[in-house]
Amino acid sequence: MTLSPELLLAVAADRLRAARPELAARLDLSTPEALRDAKAAVAGREADDVADSAVVVAVISGFHLPTWVHETCRFALSVPADLAVAWRRSFTRTLFLAGRPDNLTERFPFDHIADDASSAWSGPTANEATTALRRLLRTFSGTRELSAWAPVTIDVAGPAAPSSRPVHRDLYIATARVTVSDVLVQVNHLLAEAVLNGLIRPGDRLTLRSVPHLSGLTAPLAALRVDTDAHSPHVLRAYAALTKET
Amino acid sequence: MAGERRRVLLAPITVTPSKPLTPSHLKGLLWADVMFRATAPLADVTYRYSHTTYHPTEQTLGFWEFLDRTQGDTDYETLSEEEIGELYVHYRAEGKPLTAMDVRPYAEAVERAGYVHPAGTRVLRLWTRHYERLGLHDPGLLACQPPGFGLEEMIEDLVAGGLGLDQRDVGGPVYLDATRFGLPLRQIVTADGRPNYLACALRELLPLTPRYDEVVVLYDRELDPDYQLLERVLTAKGTTVHRAPVGRVPIDGKITSARHGGWHDHTVEVLLRSLGGDQDPAVLRLGVRLYFIAVLGPGQQESFRHDLLRKSLARAERLLSRAEEKPQDPGALPALLERHRRGHTHVDPYRLTSSLLGRGPRVPAGDLLTTVYL
Repeated sequence: MTLSPELLLAVAADRLRAARPELAARLDLSTPEALRDAKAAVAGREADDVADSAVVVAVISGFHLPTWVHETCRFALSVPADLAVAWRRSFTRTLFLAGRPDNLTERFPFDHIADDASSAWSGPTANEATTALRRLLRTFSGTRELSAWAPVTIDVAGPAAPSSRPVHRDLYIATARVTVSDVLVQVNHLLAEAVLNGLIRPGDRLTLRSVPHLSGLTAPLAALRVDTDAHSPHVLRAYAALTKET
Repeated sequence: MAGERRRVLLAPITVTPSKPLTPSHLKGLLWADVMFRATAPLADVTYRYSHTTYHPTEQTLGFWEFLDRTQGDTDYETLSEEEIGELYVHYRAEGKPLTAMDVRPYAEAVERAGYVHPAGTRVLRLWTRHYERLGLHDPGLLACQPPGFGLEEMIEDLVAGGLGLDQRDVGGPVYLDATRFGLPLRQIVTADGRPNYLACALRELLPLTPRYDEVVVLYDRELDPDYQLLERVLTAKGTTVHRAPVGRVPIDGKITSARHGGWHDHTVEVLLRSLGGDQDPAVLRLGVRLYFIAVLGPGQQESFRHDLLRKSLARAERLLSRAEEKPQDPGALPALLERHRRGHTHVDPYRLTSSLLGRGPRVPAGDLLTTVYL
C-alpha cells in the first residue's frame, strides 16, 4: 500500500466524518488546509458547548513505550460504553500532564493507574472537571526524539471473550523527527480508537515495530493514524499504523 | 534548657551581584543581620549566604556570557555598581534565548573552579564596603562556598523522597513535586540541564537542613509560592522550617525589579552619600535598622522616604546617648531577647526593633545595641 497524500487526506477526513457525521457534510475536507480549518471549527464549537465535550487526562511520570501502550489499551478497554461514545465524538481528546500518580491518588480518584504507577488516567469527563488537576500539573513535555527499538510484543491484558479469538497485530510507529510527546498524542489516538472500534480486545497481542517513516509497508492495515506533520503544517503525515491480523 | 543550645540555620535569599544594591535589598540584608545577631546569644546560629550557590542560575551565567561577548576585556575594577547594573539592564533587554551550550563554559568554571566573573567580583567588593559601613555581618561575600549537593545528587534526593519528578530522559524538565500537599508542580531544571534559583537553593539546603533544629528562610515576599514549596521539602527532612517573607521597599509607590534599571537616585550608594560622610557610624547603623525594620515593617505598603530615614537617625542618636547613661546589666540580654522569640528559636527582628521605638523615654540596654545593632 502506498501512503499517498490522497490516501492520507482520505483517512484523516474519514476520521472526522466518523466522529462527527452531522458536521462533516457541511465542512470542506478537500485539502490538508481545509481539513485543518475544519478540525479547528469543530474544536471551537466544542469549546462553546462544554456539555458536548469529553476529555481524558493522562498523568505521565515515566515513559517506557511497551508499558505505556499496554496501559493505554487497558485504560481504553475500561471506558464504559456511554462515555466512549462522548469521547469518540471529541476525537478521543486526551491531555497529557507531567505528574507523579503516587502523589495524587489521595486527591484525585483516577479511573486507571498503571501497575508500575508510571501513568494514570482520568475520564472521559467534562472539560471543567479536569481543571483542578490541570492547575496542579504541567503539560507533559517530551522533546526527545524516539530511538529505534527491536520489535517487542505485548499482551493486551484481560481474558479474551469466549466468543472471540485472540488476534495478533503489528503496531508500526514512525520515529524520524517524532518526539516522545508526538508519540503520546498520535499513538494514543490510534490505540484508543482501535479499542473503541473493537480492533484491540483483551487477550490480543501487539508487536511494536519502529520505522523511520511509514513507507513501504506491505501488510494490510486495519487502522492508520494521520495528522498534520509537526514540521510541515501544510502536509499530512502517517504517524502509526495497526495491521490486520498477522 | 541550659547546655542545650538549639542549632539554627538562617538562610536568606542572596542578591545577585549584577546590579546596585537598592533599598529593597538593604531592607532584607538588615532584617537578616538583626535576626542573626539577636539569635546568636540564644542559639548556635549559622548564617548561610553563599553567592557561589546561586552563580549557576541563568540570570548570572547569561550576564557573564553577555559581558564577555559584548564588552571584551574590560577593567571592571574601574566601574561602579550602577555602571555594571546598566550593563545588566542591557543584557536583560537583549532577550536572547540562552541554551545550556551558551553558558556551559561559565557553569563548568563555577562548579569546578569556583569561578566568579570580574564584574561579579567588583560588585561584591563594593558591597563589602557597604557592609562594613553599615555594620552588617559579612557571611562571606567573596568566599567560595559551594553547596553540599551537586545537581544530580539534589535531583536524586528529591525524587527518592517523592518530591521530585525528573523527565530529562524524555526531553522534559525536572520538577519539584509537592502536589501531594496541593501545591502546583514547579519546574526547577530545564530539559537541557539549566537550574533555576530554587534548584540552587535545594542543592544548598537539602544537605544542610538535617544538621539543624530550625531553619529560617528569609525571602522577598513576591517569591512566596516558591518558598512554600521549599518549606514543604525541607520539613520532610524532619527539621522545623520557618518562612520569613520581607516586603520590598516601593519607590514613589512603585515596586520595580532591578533588572529593568530605573534605580538611579535610589541605590544604597546614593542613599549613604546623601546622609553625609561624617555621620557617626553608630548613629548610621542603628538609624538604618530602626527605619528599614521597625518603621517600614515586614510589609511593602510604605514607600521609601528620606525624611523618615533622617528622623530614624535622629532617634538613634537620642537612644544611643540615653543608653550610655544607663548602668549595664550583663546578664539581662538573653532574657530581653527571649521575649522576642515567639514560638520559635530565632528572634523576630521586627518585634525586637519595634520595642526600641515605644512611647516614652525608652532606654535600651547598651549591650543590646552593641550586640545586635551597631
